Amino acid sequence: MIQIRQVSLWYRDGRKVVDNVSAEIRRGQTVVICGPSGSGKSSLLRCINGLERFQEGEILVDGISVSSPSTDLHALRAEIGMVFQHFELYPHMTVLDNITLAPRKVRKKTRQEAETKAMELLNRVGIPDKAAVYPGELSGGQQQRVAIARSLAMEPKAMLFDEPTSALDPEMIKEVLDVMVDLARSGMTMVVVSHEMGFAREVADEVIFMDAGRFIEKKATASFFASAENPRTREFLSRILT
Amino acid sequence: MLHYDFEWSVLWRYPYGGMFIQGIWTTVHLSLFSWMIAILLGLTVCLCRMTPLRAARFLGGAYVELFRNIPLLVQLFFWYFAAPSLLPRELELWLYGNVKDLGYLVAVIALGTYTAARVSEAIRSGLLAVPRGQYRAAHSTGLSGGQTYRHVVLPYALRISWPLLTTEFLTCFKNSALAMTIGVLETTGTAAYVDSFTFHGLETTTAASCVYLATSGAVILTMSRIEKRMRIPGLIRRGYN
Repeated sequence: MIQIRQVSLWYRDGRKVVDNVSAEIRRGQTVVICGPSGSGKSSLLRCINGLERFQEGEILVDGISVSSPSTDLHALRAEIGMVFQHFELYPHMTVLDNITLAPRKVRKKTRQEAETKAMELLNRVGIPDKAAVYPGELSGGQQQRVAIARSLAMEPKAMLFDEPTSALDPEMIKEVLDVMVDLARSGMTMVVVSHEMGFAREVADEVIFMDAGRFIEKKATASFFASAENPRTREFLSRILT
Repeated sequence: MLHYDFEWSVLWRYPYGGMFIQGIWTTVHLSLFSWMIAILLGLTVCLCRMTPLRAARFLGGAYVELFRNIPLLVQLFFWYFAAPSLLPRELELWLYGNVKDLGYLVAVIALGTYTAARVSEAIRSGLLAVPRGQYRAAHSTGLSGGQTYRHVVLPYALRISWPLLTTEFLTCFKNSALAMTIGVLETTGTAAYVDSFTFHGLETTTAASCVYLATSGAVILTMSRIEKRMRIPGLIRRGYN
């Protein structure tokens, strides 16, 4: 589904953010990427849907190259959902409009079709009563669930999560993770940048530890937790697994 | 000692009363037309400055710096006295001969293009205040650049720019007084004109001042009404208004 082949990314100031990484995420798999901040996790994630341009290597999504000039990036992005650390809901639109905007404008659905689907999704993420409310009136956890619904409304083939729970209060983390666990179990292909190791244990097929732009450790979930080889991975794990 | 006989009746007495009404009306539509040009042109210039196209960015930037850095009075004089002579001789003569309200036309264009440069900057400051994550979120759902601007970024940015736009609108409206220098009988021009017949400049300029104050007040009231209407529920704001 998603193939990452020897991708490297530099910022304008010459800093190497992602350093020659490769991975393959198969359909229906969930991969969790963890690592210290500034290690290139989010940048790599943004490369997958072309929000960030990389200089070397290749990323294929469903066989289509992200960096090829002939690729219609908008069409490609419509197939990949993305959830952000700070939710990024559109503050001037109601929850319902947030969710239906892209289906109406990109998929050319009628308002009614889009709204029916949106209500279905709001039910799925557990807040059907918030359709008419503005994002600023919701808690962080509710906002993030709306953001997930907004992505799902495009019926994406894969979902990218960029630290979806890092900006949330502890008591709200669970409500978002529950939605994500559900999603993973329903067979969605997911790439999740997160430090939620409980989530990784529960649903991830593979866990990657990233540091200084490289994949330091990349293992099937069980063996990642049981036998991480690299001392940096072990140190990181011991710090966040209390 | 003050030797001045007030005679307020010059404000309504025939034929001056009609002149004042005419003048105030001219101020109103002169500034409204200019404002329309300013908004449309300003938005266009601003969007030019935000595109990835270098040539468009350069042109947009050049426009803003050219029009906001030359005094409006000089621009008025340029459009009125100098620009027509740059036209072919026949066209120039035709212009002077056939366009009855050339001064008015020039005033609308000059004020509109000048204010556009300032409006462009006001909108740009709003656009720059929209977090990058908003673009990313919109793009990630497959919206095109244009759709992202139209539905997500601009509605957000305009709300941020609104107080600045209110100020620009007021400035545009007050700047319309300069049109008297090229013979447009708007409020200020009329005040001076009536003064030249009656020598009651104190009354006429007082009246003009009151007209500006009252109209500005109405504009401020309307704009802040709209501002309240557009307020985003639940979004943190500072201040107590």
